[in-house]
Amino acid sequence: MANVSNLPGLASDASRELLESSSSGLNSRSLRVAENVRKKGETNQFQLALSYLSNVQEGTVVRGNDELERNLVVVETVALCHGLPPDAISLLLDLALSLRAGGVTCLRILKFLIPASVVPQEAIVRCVSWLCVGKMTINAQVLFLRWVLTVFDLIDCKDQLRSIYGFIFSFVTEENLCPFICHLLYLLTMKEHVQPYRVRKLMDIQAKMGRQPFLMQLLAVYKVFRPELVTLSVPSRMRTGFKNYNSTWKAALSAVQKKNRPEVMADLNLSVELKGKSTSRKRKLHHLEVPGLNSAFGTNSERKVFRLQELRSFTQLLQNIHNIELPAQMGSLLGSSLALHYLDCVQDESAFLRLNFWLGHSLQEEFLLCPEDGGSDSLSEASAFLSTILSSQQFLQEGFFSTESFLYKFLSVWDGSLLRSQILDLLSHIPLMSSHYIRMLVFEPLIQLYFTSNVFFKCSVIECLNSMLLKWLTWHSVNPLMECLDLSVNSSTVTMTLSGFIDTVTELVSFVGRLATEGLRLENCHILLLNHTLNFYETVCDMLVKYGLPLVVMPPAGVFYPALLATDSLTVDRLGYIMYRYRKNLTLAKKQEQQNEQAFHISRTTYQDFNKQLVAMVSCLWNSKSFLPGTNNEIDEHLLIQSKVPKYWSRFDLVHHPAFFKYAIEFHQKCWPERTCVDLASIKVGRYWSWYMEFLFCQGFDGLNDFIQVNTGQGSSSSSS
Amino acid sequence: MALLAPYSKIPELNTATILLVENEEKVQSKLADAIVQREKDVNVNVRLACKLPLPVENSETRPRVDLVVFIVNLLSERSLQVVENSLNHLRSDFFLGKVCFMVTDARCGALAQERLLSVKKLAASHRCPVICAEHQTEDGISMAASRLLTVLKVSAGLSPVATTALYLSTLTRCTVPSELDED
Repeated sequence: MANVSNLPGLASDASRELLESSSSGLNSRSLRVAENVRKKGETNQFQLALSYLSNVQEGTVVRGNDELERNLVVVETVALCHGLPPDAISLLLDLALSLRAGGVTCLRILKFLIPASVVPQEAIVRCVSWLCVGKMTINAQVLFLRWVLTVFDLIDCKDQLRSIYGFIFSFVTEENLCPFICHLLYLLTMKEHVQPYRVRKLMDIQAKMGRQPFLMQLLAVYKVFRPELVTLSVPSRMRTGFKNYNSTWKAALSAVQKKNRPEVMADLNLSVELKGKSTSRKRKLHHLEVPGLNSAFGTNSERKVFRLQELRSFTQLLQNIHNIELPAQMGSLLGSSLALHYLDCVQDESAFLRLNFWLGHSLQEEFLLCPEDGGSDSLSEASAFLSTILSSQQFLQEGFFSTESFLYKFLSVWDGSLLRSQILDLLSHIPLMSSHYIRMLVFEPLIQLYFTSNVFFKCSVIECLNSMLLKWLTWHSVNPLMECLDLSVNSSTVTMTLSGFIDTVTELVSFVGRLATEGLRLENCHILLLNHTLNFYETVCDMLVKYGLPLVVMPPAGVFYPALLATDSLTVDRLGYIMYRYRKNLTLAKKQEQQNEQAFHISRTTYQDFNKQLVAMVSCLWNSKSFLPGTNNEIDEHLLIQSKVPKYWSRFDLVHHPAFFKYAIEFHQKCWPERTCVDLASIKVGRYWSWYMEFLFCQGFDGLNDFIQVNTGQGSSSSSS
Repeated sequence: MALLAPYSKIPELNTATILLVENEEKVQSKLADAIVQREKDVNVNVRLACKLPLPVENSETRPRVDLVVFIVNLLSERSLQVVENSLNHLRSDFFLGKVCFMVTDARCGALAQERLLSVKKLAASHRCPVICAEHQTEDGISMAASRLLTVLKVSAGLSPVATTALYLSTLTRCTVPSELDED
């Protein structure tokens, strides 16, 4: 058939296209027919096997029962290959948990129970009743619960499961089942489930078993719904409470889901999600992706709720904001901007708790306990995932605490190149914490990375810390409460006083000062690093005026002098701007101090440091008195004489400074075009000097202009505003 | 038994020598290639060994070693043991900034995390830096090579600015993460 279309050159283009398309149509149709026939045979066999299994009676001999074995194998193959339809799941679960075919078969069936699309909740409810009968071995019970946790998101709706919450809760006392039951309850709990007697029970168990993470997680959710009932204090940064229980089925489940994805997704597709890409991906389904929005309730649910995936517009969100139901898997919120709007407005503690739990789990799993594969595909997936988190965080303008605690762990095993831009971006989003913690969790690992890496890494670290500082300062400036800064970071409320905030910022600034000083030395004052450092100090110098934070920290000498003596004019210009802003800030601080009794003073040494640097800069650039005895940048005279530089004190004034040398020459040529030998000293005489200043400021050195105008009273008024 | 000493020989001009010690010999050669290909300005000699002490027969012709790197594969218990034993065969002045630990597979589960902690303790007690490497990807290897070269150039005295190995090691040395209550 394909040959027809390949007749060379005879048919015109249009007709050939027609032929091709028709033949390919025929082709695919015949393929489809063949496929259908094959499938039918398979299906028949599968149906027969299922009907046989459904008829297995109590007391059937299992050992040596070839027929049972054969049918089981048929079902097993289909299950691992294509997954099982809902009715088959329900049938097999019933067979397994009723123990009609014995305990061994029960375990075996549970192990290959891979759903193709959804799991009917009636089946789960029936199984819970089998669980209540109590005939199953502990092993089988645990396996069953682990299976339920694995497929939890595939259960079609959960309202009936929620209505038997009490039954499920009763298993909490079984020591072996407790972790799994707690996890299941965690996923099911609604406000009405939180009752005093349940809290009491959990507290009893906790007294017996100790502060187990799974109990803590469940109690944390209880506390969110009914804070008056749970008096226990829940640590704000909790260890991920539930271990990964789904390893038995994960690979098979994801493979099957991947295969079935187009059909499954067809009816669940939404307008608000950023899915799309995942359906087209050819590789095995990675578990690291934002799941689709999927409701916890079926459509037949009696509750009058509006499901998030039905939202199409912002107006709809506004109209239904009071009865919106959260999706089954909180991770799906990350993909949808409407959902994030909702999360932001409602400030639902339980939603944040669940979202954080999911996030922490995925991040931990993928980056800290990753299997050994370093394919570029998984890497691009991981970077897309981190970018999604990042954009959600930017949208909400706060970080998730699970990402935060992940970052701290990841920093200690980071090689410095893996997903660098995302990791550093995420790092810049971390919220404020006490200076002690930030030193231990962030600065310690960072300093080791910083000093062993190349200059570009150093630059990106400084940039990251700069944007971290900017975010903190912005946070501070929009929180007008001065005495007690309430930093509600998602669910964990950290209360930090202004002095605590100042401590942390001081810690950060002095940390960057150290990094920059030593980094500049090691990298021989690399121009890029120097400019990133000056970027940072541009933020630092304006903390009082721009952000209302009563703190001024001067740059260390290791940053100041390399910038002052730099060979490019832009750096010196930026330093001029920074010193100008420092002066503005310190003047304001002084004024505030005189006007009212401020609780926070700028220390006198800061003023002294500023004055020293100011004098050094003015005497160097303006007065041609650098390195002379009595000044701050004094260098031993003998050394300078040994260097054989004539008039070394004037080598760094605005005329001779290597950064401005070129401008001086140009100015000289313009002034005295007839001169053949260049005498730069003549620029310093009389009115030429002010002309030269004007000439310089016309080149766009606004920072320098501001600096000189403020500190010497001279400067061009035309270019200053 | 002769200890390996950092200052017993005269250095060669414009040359740095790095010794990679790895028991499994899995990452060693890849890393060596990357190091040699990366560095264009100075001559870098890369020596490989699976453990210390080094054999006696070549000791005369062996160049002065400027940096010893112990590569620990966190998935294997043996790897760490070999490194622990090898440490005894270095003269103590090596620990003034001329020894470095490199770990691989740091992101592979809880067991690796525990071993990483013991490597960090070992490194901290010897005042050495620990570098984590992603040895499975090209980028990871080249990053690891570049970081080792950064340390090597300083410890071989090739850094243009006067920075000594001892000084750099005060900045990069590993600190044992103190026990955190929650994280």
